[in-house]
Amino acid sequence: NDFLDQPLRGQQELDDFFASGEASERFVNGIYQKVNGEGWNQINFFRTINEMATDDQWSGNTEQPRADITGIAHYNVFPGSAYINSFWEHNYIGITRANLALDQISEVEMDEDHKARLLAEAKFLRAWFYFELVKNYGGVPIVTTWDELFEPEVYQYTRNTVDEVYAQIEQDLTEAVNVLPLKNEYAPSDYGRATKGAAQALFGKAYLYQEKWMEAEAMFANVIQSNQYQLEENFADVWKPNNRYGVESIFEVGYINNEQFPNIGGVYSTTQGSRADLGWSWGTPTSNLENAFLAEGDSIRLRSTIIKHGEPVFGDPEVTSFDAAPTRNKSGRINRKFYVPTADRPEPYQIGQHPLSHIHIRLADVLLMHAEAAYFNGNESAALQSLEKVRERVDLELDDNLNGTALRDAIWKERRLELALELHRLYDLRRQKVNGTPRISMIMGPNGSFVEYNLNENDDPFENSNMGESMDKGILFDQSIHMLWPIPPEEIQLSQGSIEQNPGY
Amino acid sequence: QEITVTGTVTDVDGAPIPTVNVIEEGTSNGVITDFDGNFEIVVPAESTLTFSFVGYSSKSVEVNNQSTINVSLASDQEALDEVVVIGYGEARKKEVTSSIATVDGDDLEKITTGNPAEALQGRASGVQVISQGGAPGAAPQILIRGITTFNNDKSPLIVVDGVMLPSGTNLNFLNPRDIKDFQILKDASASAIYGSRASNGVILITTKRGKFGKAVFTLDVSSGISNIERIDMANSQEYARVVNERRLNDGQEIKFTEEEISEFGNGTDWQKETLSDFALVQNYNLGISGGGENVKYLASLGYFEEQSHYQKGFRKKLTGRFNVDFQISDKLKLKQDLSPRFERWEDTPNLFYNTLRIEPLTDVYIPIEERDGRNEFSIYGRSGIGVPNPVATVSRVFGGINYFGLFTNTQLNYKPVEWLDLQTQFGFNFDTNRRDDFNPSFFIHPNEQNLINNVFRRITTNSDWVWNNTATYKNSFGEHDITFTAGLVLDEQRYNYVSAFREDIPGQTEELRYIDAATGENRSVGGNESVRTMFSYLGRLMYNFKDRYFLTGAVRRDASSVFPDENKWGTFPSISVGWSIADESFFNIDDIDALQLKAGYGQLGNQNINPASRFFGIGDSNYAFGGERVVTNTLNRFGNVDLKWETVEDINVGIEGAFFDNRLSLSVERYKRKSKDLLFQVEPPNYTGIPGTIAQNVGSMESEGWDASLGFSGGKNKFTYSINTNVSTNESRLQDIAPGIEELLGQQRSDLGNRFLKISRPGEIAGLFYGYESSGLFQNQTEINSHSGETGSLLQPNAVPGDLRFVDKNQDGVLNDDDLTIIGNPFPDFTAGLNMDFTYGNWDMSMQWYGVFGNDIINYTNLFGYSALNDVNVRAGALDRVWREDNPGADFPRLSALDRNQNYQRPSDLLVEDGSFVRLKNLQVGYNIPLEGVNKLRISISAQNLFTITDYSGFDPEVSAGGDVINGYGVDYASYPLTRTFLAGLNFSL
Repeated sequence: NDFLDQPLRGQQELDDFFASGEASERFVNGIYQKVNGEGWNQINFFRTINEMATDDQWSGNTEQPRADITGIAHYNVFPGSAYINSFWEHNYIGITRANLALDQISEVEMDEDHKARLLAEAKFLRAWFYFELVKNYGGVPIVTTWDELFEPEVYQYTRNTVDEVYAQIEQDLTEAVNVLPLKNEYAPSDYGRATKGAAQALFGKAYLYQEKWMEAEAMFANVIQSNQYQLEENFADVWKPNNRYGVESIFEVGYINNEQFPNIGGVYSTTQGSRADLGWSWGTPTSNLENAFLAEGDSIRLRSTIIKHGEPVFGDPEVTSFDAAPTRNKSGRINRKFYVPTADRPEPYQIGQHPLSHIHIRLADVLLMHAEAAYFNGNESAALQSLEKVRERVDLELDDNLNGTALRDAIWKERRLELALELHRLYDLRRQKVNGTPRISMIMGPNGSFVEYNLNENDDPFENSNMGESMDKGILFDQSIHMLWPIPPEEIQLSQGSIEQNPGY
Repeated sequence: QEITVTGTVTDVDGAPIPTVNVIEEGTSNGVITDFDGNFEIVVPAESTLTFSFVGYSSKSVEVNNQSTINVSLASDQEALDEVVVIGYGEARKKEVTSSIATVDGDDLEKITTGNPAEALQGRASGVQVISQGGAPGAAPQILIRGITTFNNDKSPLIVVDGVMLPSGTNLNFLNPRDIKDFQILKDASASAIYGSRASNGVILITTKRGKFGKAVFTLDVSSGISNIERIDMANSQEYARVVNERRLNDGQEIKFTEEEISEFGNGTDWQKETLSDFALVQNYNLGISGGGENVKYLASLGYFEEQSHYQKGFRKKLTGRFNVDFQISDKLKLKQDLSPRFERWEDTPNLFYNTLRIEPLTDVYIPIEERDGRNEFSIYGRSGIGVPNPVATVSRVFGGINYFGLFTNTQLNYKPVEWLDLQTQFGFNFDTNRRDDFNPSFFIHPNEQNLINNVFRRITTNSDWVWNNTATYKNSFGEHDITFTAGLVLDEQRYNYVSAFREDIPGQTEELRYIDAATGENRSVGGNESVRTMFSYLGRLMYNFKDRYFLTGAVRRDASSVFPDENKWGTFPSISVGWSIADESFFNIDDIDALQLKAGYGQLGNQNINPASRFFGIGDSNYAFGGERVVTNTLNRFGNVDLKWETVEDINVGIEGAFFDNRLSLSVERYKRKSKDLLFQVEPPNYTGIPGTIAQNVGSMESEGWDASLGFSGGKNKFTYSINTNVSTNESRLQDIAPGIEELLGQQRSDLGNRFLKISRPGEIAGLFYGYESSGLFQNQTEINSHSGETGSLLQPNAVPGDLRFVDKNQDGVLNDDDLTIIGNPFPDFTAGLNMDFTYGNWDMSMQWYGVFGNDIINYTNLFGYSALNDVNVRAGALDRVWREDNPGADFPRLSALDRNQNYQRPSDLLVEDGSFVRLKNLQVGYNIPLEGVNKLRISISAQNLFTITDYSGFDPEVSAGGDVINGYGVDYASYPLTRTFLAGLNFSL
């Protein structure tokens, strides 16, 4: 019988794994991997495509236009895009990792505080993944335990409602907020883990997306008043290489350069970089965005947001005339926020190794969300107060008399300028409504302002000289379809159709 | 007038046959040949000599005043007394009540190939050999009687001289020249003795052994060249016009002005740049065999080499075989076989797909003046559309494998009494291979670069052993014959590897391409082991009454380490019966020499899953906190603790007969195989967060069909002929999947929206093509407007004239993935082989035909061949085959850069073509040069795959995307096609 007993070799078995606090922590570390995913395209690139589907970015790369990227940016949506698919898939892998951690770690004999924190981190991350899913796909099937994966019914799940998904998110975040430590309660070596502040900020955001203004305002106020965060003095320092976990950062994926482990460094500097600068030029900024800065007289943020062809790069004294390769990308403009200045570039300069963190939530974002929630609660003075903090840093005056929809519009405009190219815009435009009409419908579509600008007014020399990407981007937008992305067709097939497609796809 | 006639009697291989009776016809005057096959007899000058010997067909030769008569005797194949190997024993052919097909080694030798499976194609009914293309070392897939499993490996169990080899063993390792014959066990009553290893059928291979007689030396040489098919692609001008038209049709600006186009030449012919016209094939075999009363021996040495049509890629194989038989005493016999093998493979690039796609405007190299400061791998042109330069890719191939294998087989037989045979056999199969890779550093473009070079080495070792112990009782009681076999078998398969990788070698020269030379931080090592073991009992009873009524019953009990304890054991019984009608006294038809009916039933198992399938395993990776790397652990292996055997039930009935003095033989069989508890790699929905697949026991499949074969042979004077034909039909259907699962999908394509090209559903043939059905092209807006649902909403609002009209299959008024349907069947209605051998005096000729009928192929190159998808190149003449207002009868949609109708973004019948073909696999003409003192001297010329009759437009209609047959068969991504080979051969025997 010994002859017939052949164990699993070369790999630890699940049954033996969760035996210590250390092992439990390493397992929870693995859940974080799915916040941005490994490799260059697994999750994060989909967020770039989302940004391309707004008025802030072109699809950009005119050398290799692709149906599964360019097409989505132009609302000629290719449901089977690998990016739509892997975004779905990897968020769920994260959820299952969190479910397994929650199932196992509660049984481990270990320091109780450590255990509670790890469980709370898993809950924060599970809420994060569901929030990512519900924003993009609408209601999705909810899986919250490990054991249910082994019941036959798991093959026949249907989509839960949007409300049910948010209820799940709220439940996890309630528990996470109660347990997670403040940022300053972590050791520096633990920076990057979920904090109470991160959970509150995410919670507030989830409220905001549901238009639960009261709860949202209160939750953002908790973050602002926690004394854990402050605005970077210089706007330019927010997206500075090696400025990991800076004073303004609330939740980020802290990228480092490590030649031996190329999946723990940044990728955006390559995917969004100039094709003449070892980049791929996906998601190049629009002249429409540049004009928004110019109209506001916002030179401080403009220079730290957009690099323009032929001009010097702010913060990189070695580049006096930047080559944005305008014949190879749509706009002759490159995202400054993901640009690594020459002096900060590790050798070799490669994708997956850029020491430039990806900040998902920062204080300025929370302040502006707070302002927005406060405005809708009728608390205009609180709104003005938060708005002012953000403008103050970049030397912009605030009209104290702003009120009503003018105040609302000022807050929205501020979000665009402050957070430009940080991959929030599409979600904002979908959720922000004027008289019940989502703003995206006013910007995109045959009569959208962005479409009309490009077809009738745009006289930008770069955008008008490279027709590798057509000027009518967004003309195909249809509000009855494009408020959500399609469910990946693969998932519909794998679920035998029990997962139903979003309307219009 | 009496003369003295001398001569030598040999077999067809030229080996002398001692003790042959040489008799003057009609008299009692006779002699027997000596040890060296020589005879001398005094006979009248006009008499006739008859040569006869057990196991060989008799032959009569007119003396005609000749003083030297050399005769070769053919073995007596047709006789029902022929002994066949049946697994843990032997039986007379007449006693075999199950379905066993025999392919003789001589037939294989006509084809020069490194893989004996290739030569099996079209040789036996019920045996489908699916080519995997013409790259050096490509191993064909063998399917016996269709498919009853969704498990990855569908290839039969290979047993060499009684030793079971691991599942999926590639026949590459054998030298075809060493094979005496194949016995293919097709039904369960034949193969149940191999129990859980046998559900895909069994191939028993017997190697040649030394015979009693003088030492015979043989030398066989065949050598030649192969040439490869090409596809006509557009030149620069046509390409540029297609690209322009794609844009114009979407209202965009053209990419090339007419002036530019007029200055284009033909551009780069990428197939010509990457593929040479001819590649070398050579095969040499040296052998010696013979033996006395107590020791018989055979030693052979073979060398085979084939080159690819790329600048890189070859396979060289050196094999040896030493088979020795010792008769230690009357009761004790020992066989000791030793077969070493050494192979070197250089990786053959597989660049056909990119070679077709890359646009002709790209130059192979950058101009000389731009090459300053670039290394030899960086001087290549960059495709304007991002297809990697195929010539550059070939230049960077520095990978290959060295194999060393040793197969030993020791068998001891003890017969204490006449009716009992005790046997113990130990077979050991050791195989180690070393894979080496070097990736040079180069820079062509930011998206086509590798800034740091690296080396990789991996050493893999397989050591497998089988220990067979059997006792065979054989006795007769009057008209009752009984043979009873009981056995106990242990086997183990052990696999392990160690690998190392490191970056940054200071230089790119050959002598530095070792791990020790590398200096980079980025390095990794790996190593692991996997073991599977099995313990089995077996028993078989063969009974016959009056040599007319036959019965065989067998049972095997297996325990396998891959299943959890409670599911380890499985029992596999079988029974079969036969009736030889022609032996009945009431049956008295002169022209019928033999007629036998048979029927059998049995159960088989399948356990061929990864031994790790039942385990949940933890892996590690990396993340960063606080600016430092931290280790992460994740669950990267999802197991199943309830796994058990897959079981196949099988029924076979057949009739076979021999007619007209055994000149005509016929065999017809009908079978049905049904499997249950299929071992499936189920892919759960992604919302489970389970990446990839999990092994599960679910569902069932059914495979049924007919096997028929018909042979004629005969001759007159100096002319002999033998014609054998076989036809097989098979349908393999999925019966059930797991509760709640209604379809299984395969062959996912990101170009097509991550949809799957293959589907299997209960009640349908497994692995059908799946996609949108189209019904022609829209000719005008009216047709588009009338293509609407019941409410009048347009089904294809984005369509314009010239776009594909997709069928709203479910008629719900919306065109979406609910309309996906079956668009083709890759499996043939039937396959057929036709093998013809003729001799005339010293001349001989043979032909081998193979045909596949009624199958469909997904020609994946149609996705871009007439659309220039992503601006890649198109087929020559594409401009004439796409829709335009002035070309309304076109087969392919209008060109479109945006493709808003998704003509080429959804799988559709636009990709499907008829794949039927008939191929002349081999044509060989030989001449025997009669020469004094030489047993045999034959020269021959042959052509393999000389021509193929087909309507298929791709490289080669015999295609498989590789991997799993259900999901790979019939999908053509333009891989290495079968090549046409011309050879000259020499057979010499002394």
